[in-house]
Amino acid sequence: MKSKYAPDRRAFLRSSVAGSMLMPGIVHQLLADSNDPLAERQPHFQAKAKRVIFLFMTGGVSHVDTFDPKPELTRDHGKEINADHPEIKDRPGYERIYLKRPQWEFAPHGKCGTEVSTLFPHVAGCVDDIAMIRSMHTSHSNHYNATLGMHTGSFTFSRPSLGAWVSYGLGTMNRNLPGFVVIAPRQTYAGTQVYASDFLPGAHQGTLVVPGSTPVANVTPQISQDRQKLELAAIRAMNARHLESRNDDALLSARMQSFETAFGMQMAVPEAFDLGGESDQTLQNYGLQRGQTSGFGWQCLAARRLVERGVRFVELIDTGSSGNWDAHGDMMSHIGLAKNVDQPIAALLKDLKQSGMLEDTLVVWTTEFGRTPFNNTADAKGREHHPWAFTSWLAGAGVKPGIVHGATDEHGLRAVEKPVHVHDFHATILHLMGFDHEQLAYRHAGRDYRLTDVEGQVVSDILA
Amino acid sequence: MIFSRTFNACTVLCTMILCSLPTQRTTGAPDDTFFEKQVRPLLVKRCYKCHSGTKTSGSLALDSRAGWQRGGESGPAIMPGQPESSLLVQAINYDGLEMPPNKAGGKLSDAEIAILTKWVKLGANDPRTKSVRHGGMSSEQARSWWAFQSLPKLTEPVAPQEIDRFVDASLKTRSLVKSSPADRRTLIRRATYDLTGLPPTPEDVDRFVSDESDDAFAKVIDRLLASPQYGVKWGRHWLDVVRYADTAGENTDRPLPHAWRYRNWVIDSFNHDLPFDQFVRMQLAGDLLQLNDKTIADGDGIIATGYLAIARRFGHDIDKDIHLMHEDVIDNVGKNFLGLSIGCARCHDHKYDPLTAEDYYALYGIFSSTRFAFPGCEPNGQPRDLVPLLTQAEIDSRTNAWRQRNEKAVAEKKRLAESSDSMRTTIRELAAKSSRLLAESKVDEGASVSFVDSKSVALDQLPLKKGEILQLTVSPNASHGADTTLVEWEISETSGPRRTWSVADFISTLTDGNPRTFDDGSSWSFLDVTDGPVFLTEKKDVVAERSDLNAWSLGDTPSVLVNRSTEPIKVWTTLPPRSFFVHPGVNRNVAVAWVCPGDMTVTVKGRVADSHPAGGDGVAFRLDHIAAEKAGPALVELGMLASSPDIFVEPQPSIPVAYAVVEGSVADACLHQRGDPEQPGDAVPRRWLSIFGGEPVPSEAGSGRRQLGDWIVGHPLSARVMVNRIWQWHLGRGLVSTPNDFGARGERPSHPELLDWLAAAFRESGYSVKSMHRLIMLTDAYRRSSEVSDSSATDDADNRYLSRFARRRLNAEEIRDSLLAAGNNLDTSPAEAHPFPAEATWNFTQHNPFSAVYTTSKRSAFLMVQRQRRDPYLALFDGADPNASTAVRQRTTVPTQALYFMNAPFVHEQAAGFARRLLAADVPNDHARVQLAFRLLYQRQPTPAEVEHGAVFLEQYPGSDDEKWAAWSRVLITANEFLYLD
Repeated sequence: MKSKYAPDRRAFLRSSVAGSMLMPGIVHQLLADSNDPLAERQPHFQAKAKRVIFLFMTGGVSHVDTFDPKPELTRDHGKEINADHPEIKDRPGYERIYLKRPQWEFAPHGKCGTEVSTLFPHVAGCVDDIAMIRSMHTSHSNHYNATLGMHTGSFTFSRPSLGAWVSYGLGTMNRNLPGFVVIAPRQTYAGTQVYASDFLPGAHQGTLVVPGSTPVANVTPQISQDRQKLELAAIRAMNARHLESRNDDALLSARMQSFETAFGMQMAVPEAFDLGGESDQTLQNYGLQRGQTSGFGWQCLAARRLVERGVRFVELIDTGSSGNWDAHGDMMSHIGLAKNVDQPIAALLKDLKQSGMLEDTLVVWTTEFGRTPFNNTADAKGREHHPWAFTSWLAGAGVKPGIVHGATDEHGLRAVEKPVHVHDFHATILHLMGFDHEQLAYRHAGRDYRLTDVEGQVVSDILA
Repeated sequence: MIFSRTFNACTVLCTMILCSLPTQRTTGAPDDTFFEKQVRPLLVKRCYKCHSGTKTSGSLALDSRAGWQRGGESGPAIMPGQPESSLLVQAINYDGLEMPPNKAGGKLSDAEIAILTKWVKLGANDPRTKSVRHGGMSSEQARSWWAFQSLPKLTEPVAPQEIDRFVDASLKTRSLVKSSPADRRTLIRRATYDLTGLPPTPEDVDRFVSDESDDAFAKVIDRLLASPQYGVKWGRHWLDVVRYADTAGENTDRPLPHAWRYRNWVIDSFNHDLPFDQFVRMQLAGDLLQLNDKTIADGDGIIATGYLAIARRFGHDIDKDIHLMHEDVIDNVGKNFLGLSIGCARCHDHKYDPLTAEDYYALYGIFSSTRFAFPGCEPNGQPRDLVPLLTQAEIDSRTNAWRQRNEKAVAEKKRLAESSDSMRTTIRELAAKSSRLLAESKVDEGASVSFVDSKSVALDQLPLKKGEILQLTVSPNASHGADTTLVEWEISETSGPRRTWSVADFISTLTDGNPRTFDDGSSWSFLDVTDGPVFLTEKKDVVAERSDLNAWSLGDTPSVLVNRSTEPIKVWTTLPPRSFFVHPGVNRNVAVAWVCPGDMTVTVKGRVADSHPAGGDGVAFRLDHIAAEKAGPALVELGMLASSPDIFVEPQPSIPVAYAVVEGSVADACLHQRGDPEQPGDAVPRRWLSIFGGEPVPSEAGSGRRQLGDWIVGHPLSARVMVNRIWQWHLGRGLVSTPNDFGARGERPSHPELLDWLAAAFRESGYSVKSMHRLIMLTDAYRRSSEVSDSSATDDADNRYLSRFARRRLNAEEIRDSLLAAGNNLDTSPAEAHPFPAEATWNFTQHNPFSAVYTTSKRSAFLMVQRQRRDPYLALFDGADPNASTAVRQRTTVPTQALYFMNAPFVHEQAAGFARRLLAADVPNDHARVQLAFRLLYQRQPTPAEVEHGAVFLEQYPGSDDEKWAAWSRVLITANEFLYLD
């Protein structure tokens, strides 16, 4: 194969390798136009929040046992009540229902004095940074529908997820990482629909990360980096020749560019998920052993690292569609589930605060619905699905810290004071990101679609 | 409560629309009373069918004052006060024109003629001055809406040049320059992907390039249209639009094991060029059509209605949310066949298009009168209403033949099962009445407990009667692993012959029987006693590959086991020599029962020891005396029944079924006020859309699906919508760029006359899709190169006016199929059913929904499409949305796709396969190998520079030849040239 031209050909190869192909931080001038769904964009108005960490507790967390203290519920334990409740309608054995007391003690915490139960001792230590919404309510009592609704604003149909809307509205800050990342040990209810881009451009769909040694699909090279560089250089050379006779077609250039980004992602993604450089103290704060690659502590620390690196929206799902907070059988299962998330969440909040990132990062904690403050006997160990009332909280960028917003009635049955529907919650999150939720729309199949459908009111009381 | 929020806005909207509707009731003038009571009903009954809405025969509308004032082709219809000069009055008297004509019911009665004449004479007072609204349009707007107009009559023969005439004229008015014709290699690559989704072979390319005949390209098209791969590609286009999926989409996303028959029928229909009008009718009412049409192959009519059945299901209990399924059906029927968003009229009249909520519920009634196959859901687990593909007579003959062949065996089997059950009941009842606990203890991990050490009654003087039972039961505690339990147990007479019985007696002969019976009348039985005695019937003469270990069991456990060797045997634990063991199962208790052979007094001795101290929590045992003389013989008899040879019964003949629909109980549906099924309004008669005439479903016609099919294909809109899709799938963009929306919110056509012409040509061809391919592909417009001229780049940036061919990325299926083909791993034979788990095993819940990805080397159109958990590959490369009609695929370019090409094992496998192919090729040298690679992947010869670069790469790249060529193969299949079509 040797020929007298060999040195020149080697030079050609070397120059390709050393060329822009593999240089990090390339200016994406080729893509800086409307064809690029990920180009960074300005929101409708100036806002503090640049990124979101969305903590989703799967299965329905009992509000009256965690963040919504109800002494009257303890007082009236065993008292029969009436309620036209979707979960007991026509259900045999549920002809009569009785109030059931909370099983954990509440105490005021922090300077603000927000009460939290003993299930969340660590989060209790952060209440001065938290705006607690005790008047949440939703439109469906089924996991599937309520989970879909909390993520997409639609309780029935596939629609783009909140994370996809934020990515669509703001674009990405780091092309070496996906703009919307979902870290989940297992799929939650409604499957991939909860992080789908649906009719929004596919670039905005959530990238699923499953905790473990290779969290993102296809980022692990099958060959050595040297070999990969040779191949990519050759591909670039071929593509350059191909492009030459094709009027510099922007789509062809965009695909060439995508390999540069992908090459970067091969390093950036594992680097982002490699906790090896974190101090012992940090690992300890999150409740992690060195080398551990799973657990909610890992998810929280990975989330902090992702937002540090410019990922726009990170969602953490704590469990999956089974073995979760769905405590029909025994409320005691809340102990383990709370223990799984409490310390990591507090560590995440403190970490973000310490580094100053809480200033422009919005942290959202929620579940799909609450749990009934009653059951068909007062001694029943579990609680049922409860769409009428639950608690969610926000912390960080643009959020008024150390407050409680809204309230349920004395037994935690209904959100009575300043009720906040899921659509309102979404409108508020979008507002905190700098969007008018009525303007953030996408034309599809002949009409404009919004995250909040035709609903939603910003909860201005919790804005800082 | 649940609905209140969702429908607030709808309420406002509905109210607004309702307020804007014209008030039909009038006040004051007595003349109105005459009009309202006599004239209007008569006009509605006898004239509206042809002279209202968009149906305006002779351009005459009689549904408004403006309508008759303007008149039709023959001039104003009424001269107020002058009946004799009024065309309308002349026509109803059959004076000149004859209206209504015979086909519309014939001449009016004298009384009716008198009413209209009187009305005209009195001045033709007509309060219908406000325009009548149909949903979002006035009837005038709707009547003149471009997409609803009738198709032109073609005067010239249908030819590709006609299309170019339209296109060229449009280019000329915009001073756009056409690109030059594409070269032949580009053209055959384009055409082959376009029609089959696969690349052409080098031989195909050579033949075309060297074919100098005038019809060379026409021959290529004909060859491709004759390939069965054509249907795979074009069937998949259709499956996009009908949002085909292999799962139901309700909360557990159940598999649809029979949906594939519809998928394959679609593919076959394209291959056979089934006329499109029949294709539409079949999908809506094939089950009804096949009753009278012998040209429809057996079962195809039923299978075709899979189109309706694959509608997405919603919620936890599908039946409770069935109105959402119906919406999905109506929405798809509207978009798919008519380019109308009828689904929008569920809660209120359409905001922009001439569609009312009544229209929606008129169609709703047609579908609610239809029985849809039911896929199962969490509260109603098993599928039902699947439609058999055989006639009842065929089913009967199959099942009868089976029944006859197996009658005896089935009866015998049943009899045995019944006597076993009754025996078991007897034993259980006897035991319940007479059982006495003798000893009981927990045996801790690794411990040994003797009967006397346990809490027990005196065991040295135990009176027994013949037929009574002593039973030792061992249970697993909470942890059921590692519970191999040693049992020693001896029973000895205290007087008389002083016989003894022991489990040690039959260590060498355990598997001789269960029950193990002896001549003296005693016997030992080995049982699972969790739900009454069940004999351990699986005989094992070899355990853990050791023939000196023998056992009786049910599955692995529960079991009774012996080591009959004189040596300890080391298997999962060390089993001491000449020993007898039991092992309980997962929540299953194992027992050994001894039947007493006579009346006697005995001493019982023994111990129970945990022989496998490997974590866990040991076992527990109890020893019972069942003091009933009938219990023993009954137990032995039960054992004999259990060990009698199994009676063979053939499996029932399987009846092929389709996931399809049939007629249901026929009834009109009630309007759901504001879309809420809990708030029913008036029943709406089943009928066609009012704007298209509102023809009712005839009584006795069943659901009306057959009529709906006829109405749809009878309207020019359906031809317009389909030719627009065909155009788009060839040229990348529809003449109407919103192919599912031909209404007010859709885009107007870029070439309106061309669209009409194409629709007319389609109709003239007898709705032959293949003839449309020939027509479109033989135009100059299709055969242009994708080069962009300066004017084209600026003034026709999105190629709306077809100044060039639009370069495109291969779609998800084409990419995967091309990779498989390159790797020599593609199986082009059609696939059938997916390897779903058997229906009987389904226990999917919303907590544990169905989820699977099946690998296959078949074409990608046959990949299993799941609704809730999208196939990750199809999601990555913009596959169709299985939850909504996909009229246009997205074409994104994102880094995760690049990562797929760089690192996915699938890509590396196909590249390695391609490299092996190159290395095995019968070519003289590497130079020729490089040429072959270009020809296979890009359908062209490499340039000398490219050959050189290939050589350099191969030289530079480290590793073996296999590695070098695999690497270079990856380069070629990753390059843009492989992925883009010029």
